[in-house]
Amino acid sequence: MNRHPMNGRPPRPRRGRRGAERRPWFAIAVTAVFFVLLYLPIGMVVLFSFNSQKSLTVFKSFSLRWYSAFFHDHVLLSSLGMSLQVSLVAMAGSVVLGVALALGLVRARSRLGSYAGLIMMVPLITPEIVTGVASLLLFKGLGVTLSTGTVMIAEITFSISYVTVILRSRVAALNPEVEEAAMDLGATRWQSLRLVTLPALLPAILASAVLIFALVFDDFVLAYFTTGVDPQPLAVRIYSAIRFGVEPTINAVGSLMLLGSILLIALALAIPRFFGRRGGLDILSGE
Amino acid sequence: MSYQALPRSPRPPLSRRSLLRAGAVGTLGLGLTGCGFMQAQTSASDDTQPPIDVKVDGDLVYFNWADYVDPSVFAGFQKEYGVKVVQSNFDSMEGMVAKLDAGNSYDLIFPSAKYTQRLAQAGRLRRIDHAKLHNADAVFSGYGYFEDPWYDARSAHSVPFTMYKTGIGWRKDRLGNLSGSWQDLWDPGASGTAFLLDDEDEALGMAALKLGIDLNTSQKADLDRITTLLKNLRPHLRGFSSDDYNNLLNGNATITQAWSGDMVSVLNQAKDASVYGFEVAREGSPINSDCYAIPSNARHPGTAMLFIDYMLRPANVVKNMQYIGYPMPVHGTESAYAALVGQLPQCVISPSDLKPGLYFRNPATTADAQARDAAWTDVKAG
Amino acid sequence: MDLGTDPTPVPTPMSASTSASTSGSEPKPGTAAGSAPRPSAAGARIWTWLALPGTVWMSVIFIASLLLVAALSFGTTDALGDPRFGATLVNWTALTDPAYLTVLLRSLEYALITSLVCLVIAYPVAYAIALHAGRLKNALIAAIVVPFFANYLVRMYGWSVVLSDNGPLLGFLRSIGLAGSHTKILNTGFGVIAGLVYGFVVFMIIPLYAALERMDVSLIEAGRDLYGGPLRTFLSVTVPSTRQGAAAGMVLVFLPAMGDFVSAQFMGGPNQIMIGNLIQDKFFEGQNWPLGSALTMLLMAVLLIGMFGYLRRTRKDEAEATG
Repeated sequence: MNRHPMNGRPPRPRRGRRGAERRPWFAIAVTAVFFVLLYLPIGMVVLFSFNSQKSLTVFKSFSLRWYSAFFHDHVLLSSLGMSLQVSLVAMAGSVVLGVALALGLVRARSRLGSYAGLIMMVPLITPEIVTGVASLLLFKGLGVTLSTGTVMIAEITFSISYVTVILRSRVAALNPEVEEAAMDLGATRWQSLRLVTLPALLPAILASAVLIFALVFDDFVLAYFTTGVDPQPLAVRIYSAIRFGVEPTINAVGSLMLLGSILLIALALAIPRFFGRRGGLDILSGE
Repeated sequence: MSYQALPRSPRPPLSRRSLLRAGAVGTLGLGLTGCGFMQAQTSASDDTQPPIDVKVDGDLVYFNWADYVDPSVFAGFQKEYGVKVVQSNFDSMEGMVAKLDAGNSYDLIFPSAKYTQRLAQAGRLRRIDHAKLHNADAVFSGYGYFEDPWYDARSAHSVPFTMYKTGIGWRKDRLGNLSGSWQDLWDPGASGTAFLLDDEDEALGMAALKLGIDLNTSQKADLDRITTLLKNLRPHLRGFSSDDYNNLLNGNATITQAWSGDMVSVLNQAKDASVYGFEVAREGSPINSDCYAIPSNARHPGTAMLFIDYMLRPANVVKNMQYIGYPMPVHGTESAYAALVGQLPQCVISPSDLKPGLYFRNPATTADAQARDAAWTDVKAG
Repeated sequence: MDLGTDPTPVPTPMSASTSASTSGSEPKPGTAAGSAPRPSAAGARIWTWLALPGTVWMSVIFIASLLLVAALSFGTTDALGDPRFGATLVNWTALTDPAYLTVLLRSLEYALITSLVCLVIAYPVAYAIALHAGRLKNALIAAIVVPFFANYLVRMYGWSVVLSDNGPLLGFLRSIGLAGSHTKILNTGFGVIAGLVYGFVVFMIIPLYAALERMDVSLIEAGRDLYGGPLRTFLSVTVPSTRQGAAAGMVLVFLPAMGDFVSAQFMGGPNQIMIGNLIQDKFFEGQNWPLGSALTMLLMAVLLIGMFGYLRRTRKDEAEATG
């Protein structure tokens, strides 16, 4: 984890193009320290995941035993599978519902719109543990047996707002006249939505999908309350293990999750290029 | 690999209809009317269920603390019996019961003594016929106490799994020898580096023992004295934490209330194990044990019985003790455990240590439980 | 990723007639709706239909379950300790215990300090990356987001190792004489705040970065011509144009910090318990779900009030901006 891209020396800004010709040394120094501190804890986790000893304080020698332990631990592996499943379903479900909701919120001039706008905010300020307890109460009340399905439902519920928040301003920034022009040319409302609106929103949709995937994959509180007897999602398993002290296997899991995260971000960075909008990082720069 | 016995009451499932009603009420914003309420379920009585047929009847759905069984022991079971072990973990007794209440069906759970009593009394556990377990004799003949423990008459619904006591772990190189009393937690040399376990029963229990009052008291006067004592200790504390062995290992603690079994992890992982000590206080040291138990809604109780029997094989017991660090009441494995704890003989649990009076017990009423809970919150929140 | 790069991530308040006004860049719905010929009413209804599934889903599952929690805060536990709905104020009166107030105020204090510290740290970082990192810009932002996507618990655990007495940070500070042999970070209020900052600082960087990146650089040049010194330029040009981003970041950091219990669990001591820890105790371990529900409602109330204040503020800002 010695990714430390800043190294205290950013490349020389191109004069004229970026205007600010003086290097803000203070800001650069802060940034350098920031990156060191950001990666130090993760570096520790990665380092000790390679420890030959079962210790989190003394590094003996390099070994892959905890990785091997992970890949031979069918419980952890099935947990990983479960997490992937839950994240993918939650991602798909919340993106579909959230995008539709964002479109509706911005465009609909009805009471429903204001009501929806209001309730959509609530999850954003609700602490996760509340969402978890509330979901458990609800599922119990409805007599639904806890299962992977209940985790998925809870995670979708938790995620819709995020999708909607991200999409909302993009939808608002779209020019409705373009859609109307498409309709003038004979497209139906659905066609113009499908052929004009959605493509324009694609980068934001993908960004929210990646974000939701990561959030759900990482979530342990909500999943903790709503899992049934199926294998537990990985994050829940980590929580159960971490409360009373970390196992080195968990370090290996953490390191692998970091690797996954890097791949995910790389993917997210790569995707918009395929769609050829400004290239690069629209989704990171937020429009 | 630590362990925590949590003092909580079971929460049988909310009645579906009453909850629905309450949900509807809530939805209408009339939550105040207080009509519906959650009710304890009518449980299937354990006695009406036929005895368990000890044979493979499906994959084992297992529910325990994380890392509480050696993975190689699981692997051996799966290979030998050709079944899978579907594993889930809880992180508190409360969480375990909440999952049972939610209707999850597990084949094998590992409640503490206190929770075994609650679940058994609520009719939530299947009867276990010890005669059908080939290896049960080593448990019940070697540790006669478990023939009729306080928490489950004649161990009719349980088989003991692990045992532990709560004492003090400390750094000899920093504090020297201690006096063998809970007073050692107040050691001036450890001020600012002392920890209490983040556990209601353990914290209140320590203070009770030190004051010479009932370990499980819920009398207001007693609790007041306990909270006063704990608040007196508070300024010396660095924190409440159940990660006792890592606190000792990483140097953040010079002294901590500790579970005996966790000291094995300290010994195994320390750079220099000789600097660590473990003592039990002369005022008394809480004792506890966990059990194997089969919930009444288990779908594969036969496999669960086979698993218990398999776990009780001395070779597996030794493997497991080495993995988790906690002793198991299986006759013939004592020397292996003594070797494991080596320099810390106080970690060994002998049959004579098992005294009902030093177990954490269920408070008699909800009000009692809540009084204890309030005292603990009072201590924690300051 | 886009972690609320929208300058007002929590949407601006809906006016009664329309909920569309979110960012200043959009076409004003009022004018469009007023003059442009509207498509058929049936066509417009599609938007309501689109909003319907999400709204119904959220109402049925989220809001109903929250109301269950609210209802339970007036409940009791029965003889066995099981939660029951009821109509008692016992749990609410229990909250008047000064211990709870202390914890609540402490949580507010920590969350506020965390937001401010995040702002102070994130601003230079976002500034350096947005305006001075050239081609490395995207890579650096990605490098900030990567750890955020790794498991939160593992990250926090790693951070507690770094902050521990024998950890690398104190080791370094001691070697340069900035820390004494007895200085500690772990199990202090400073440690908890450090944990919260580590956990949530990315929520501050992204909106600030977005705001700075979007800023018209020629403004800085103009500012320099106008004001001269870089500091005055910074204060009078850069800061105002990032105000919304900063406000959004403050909210995005404050909210999760207020409800967090992991940081105080890993990094706190006996005097650093936060309200999240109490709630977690009552639900995960305590046997008092009704009291936990009341605590939860209290926390929600505080957050809602804060949110309301923020929204009023943004509305006012917007009103000022549009004249």
